[in-house]
Amino acid sequence: MEYVWISFAAAAAVGIPALGTAWAQSRIGPAMAAALAEKPELSATAVLMIAIPETMVVLGFVIGIVIMLRPGG
Amino acid sequence: MILRMVKVRLLGSLTRLPAAIRALQDLGTIQVVASEVDSDLVAPVRRTPAQEREVRMATSALADIEHVLPHLPAPVISDDVGPAGRQEIAAWARQARRFRRQADQLTGHIQELEDELALLAKYQDLLKAFQSLFDRAEIPADTVSFCVTFAEGGEQALRELRSEVSKLSGEPLDLRVRGLPTGETAGLLVVPVASAQPIEAMMSAARVEEVRVPPSYRGESVAQALPDMRHRLELIPGELSRLRSELEGLVSAEGGELHLARVALNDRLVAEQAMQLPRATPHAFVVEGWLPDRDRDSLQRHVSERFGDDIVVEFLETEEWEDTSAPVVLSNPGLFRPFETIVRFLPLPRYGSIDPTPFVAFFFPVFFGLILGDAGYGIVLVALSAGLWRRAEPESTLRSVTHIAAVCGLFAIIFGVLFGEVFGDLGTRTLGLKPLWFHRDEALLPFLGLAVAIGFVHVVLGLVLGAVSAFHHQPRHALGRGLSALVVVLILLAILAAAEVLPARFFTPIVIVILVVFPVLVFAEGIIAPVEILAALSNIFSYARVMALGTASVMMAIVANRMAGEMGSAVVGVLFALLFHLVNFVLGVFSPTIHSLRLHYVEFFGKFYSPGGARYQPLRHWQPGAGGAQT
Repeated sequence: MEYVWISFAAAAAVGIPALGTAWAQSRIGPAMAAALAEKPELSATAVLMIAIPETMVVLGFVIGIVIMLRPGG
Repeated sequence: MILRMVKVRLLGSLTRLPAAIRALQDLGTIQVVASEVDSDLVAPVRRTPAQEREVRMATSALADIEHVLPHLPAPVISDDVGPAGRQEIAAWARQARRFRRQADQLTGHIQELEDELALLAKYQDLLKAFQSLFDRAEIPADTVSFCVTFAEGGEQALRELRSEVSKLSGEPLDLRVRGLPTGETAGLLVVPVASAQPIEAMMSAARVEEVRVPPSYRGESVAQALPDMRHRLELIPGELSRLRSELEGLVSAEGGELHLARVALNDRLVAEQAMQLPRATPHAFVVEGWLPDRDRDSLQRHVSERFGDDIVVEFLETEEWEDTSAPVVLSNPGLFRPFETIVRFLPLPRYGSIDPTPFVAFFFPVFFGLILGDAGYGIVLVALSAGLWRRAEPESTLRSVTHIAAVCGLFAIIFGVLFGEVFGDLGTRTLGLKPLWFHRDEALLPFLGLAVAIGFVHVVLGLVLGAVSAFHHQPRHALGRGLSALVVVLILLAILAAAEVLPARFFTPIVIVILVVFPVLVFAEGIIAPVEILAALSNIFSYARVMALGTASVMMAIVANRMAGEMGSAVVGVLFALLFHLVNFVLGVFSPTIHSLRLHYVEFFGKFYSPGGARYQPLRHWQPGAGGAQT
């Protein structure tokens, strides 16, 4: 049973930040697409803006790994 | 690196100014700037009325040429297009105006005919159908014919029409029908003149659609318009072909000359623009500009060969990285130069700051290789890049991108060998390959440690570069950056000592040093310093994405390989595996690129990069596509 809860915790560590990232990117993506249509020179900023929320899911993934690798995980 | 620039001044007789500007244009290394000579004796150079006329004529001729440019063939221009003289400009202006008028007439006519042909083509099926209906039997003299169409499945409407019309006219109905390729039915209804009006009203009430002729045949019935429309359909292709060959003849006769004129006129206007920047006395001129320091000798030699002692070259100052108005020239070895493309996504670095290209050229492929980390995918990427590299124009962005992709592929191969990965675990399972370092899918914590360690090196390097960059102009800020780097290193050492990776006795001395350094840091950077230290630490942990993405990539590849054995049918399994590998390859190229860019732009550049450099735009000859006018 403990293993199930550990797995669930690891999944939540990745899944919840993934939802947050998805929500943030769904707002940033259209805004940057509109900005690029007017100012193509903002392409580097667009890359940054899109990639910034991914930090949440990346760190969530790392936490998930740590949870799975802990003793008893 | 950013090239050191030198401000240069040329002095000579005013009569030699046009020749001097042409000489600088030939040399192509000086960015002419507005002269800063501050004296009542000098004034901007004014054009004579004749020169003004020439410029207006050249501008108008260029507008005409640009207007007809889509009709002209690809330019074949020799390098030695001379400067446009007064007579040539006048001749080209006349030629361009005449060409534009004739080309506009021809293209306008061609467009009209093409439109008409397209419209008639829409009616072609209807024309054929109604022609055959008219040909079936002669139309009696005292009758009116209605051409109608019924929608697909309109048999009911057709039956109702037959019965209603027969009742109204009291005679058997002459209704000829034929199917159309669209599924509709074309119907020719021939009724006595006396019954025409009520039948028309009835059809209108029943919403039976009567065929309308094109607007150009308005006023004619379908029966009258049909022969004319068929006749036009036969005539138009011949007419179009004649007009097109006339246009081709015009273009082949004059197109080459107009391309030549375009280059020469643009070249002349570039020189004219540059001519507005110098200052002059009634007898002498002063031209000032920025020149890369390495080109001093070639300028001296060039001017001396062309003008002897008539024009004097004076080097005002070698810019010691302080004048932010100096234009920025990035100059890197051939292997690094394509990586300037990544730097150019951002505004140019300020003059006197650090060009990050060499660091990007090393770290970007390393991050990419660490994330993709697969020899098989790396080989595919190198092969694709080599293919595209051969097709790309020299000096083009595509050529730079393929170069970067090839280097990244090479690093993916190197890390693939270190991690023992060829298309995931395929190499291990089929060839018994073993990793030279560690398996990424098993050694997750060592991989995480490696990613964070590389992040630590990258962020500390950024802080050190920030200190170096600020050293000349903002020594206090440089001290702050340097101490930030030191504190970050000390914090890491303290963590290692606390975790007993380093001897635990180091912990207390390190913490004491941090406590001593911290007030100095706050003095140098202000109250924001602690926040910046925290930001630097979070930046370091952001490099964990290298491990996260790398692990995801290898897991996807392993799943693709497992699919081959899980599908029941070997063929279906292999196909699925190939498809999955293809998807993983695309993701494996896209994702590391985006994240490596982000790690550079946010985590690394944020520590030292100062944008705001002015672009170097030397006065040179105009070239199609590249331009050449300094603005």
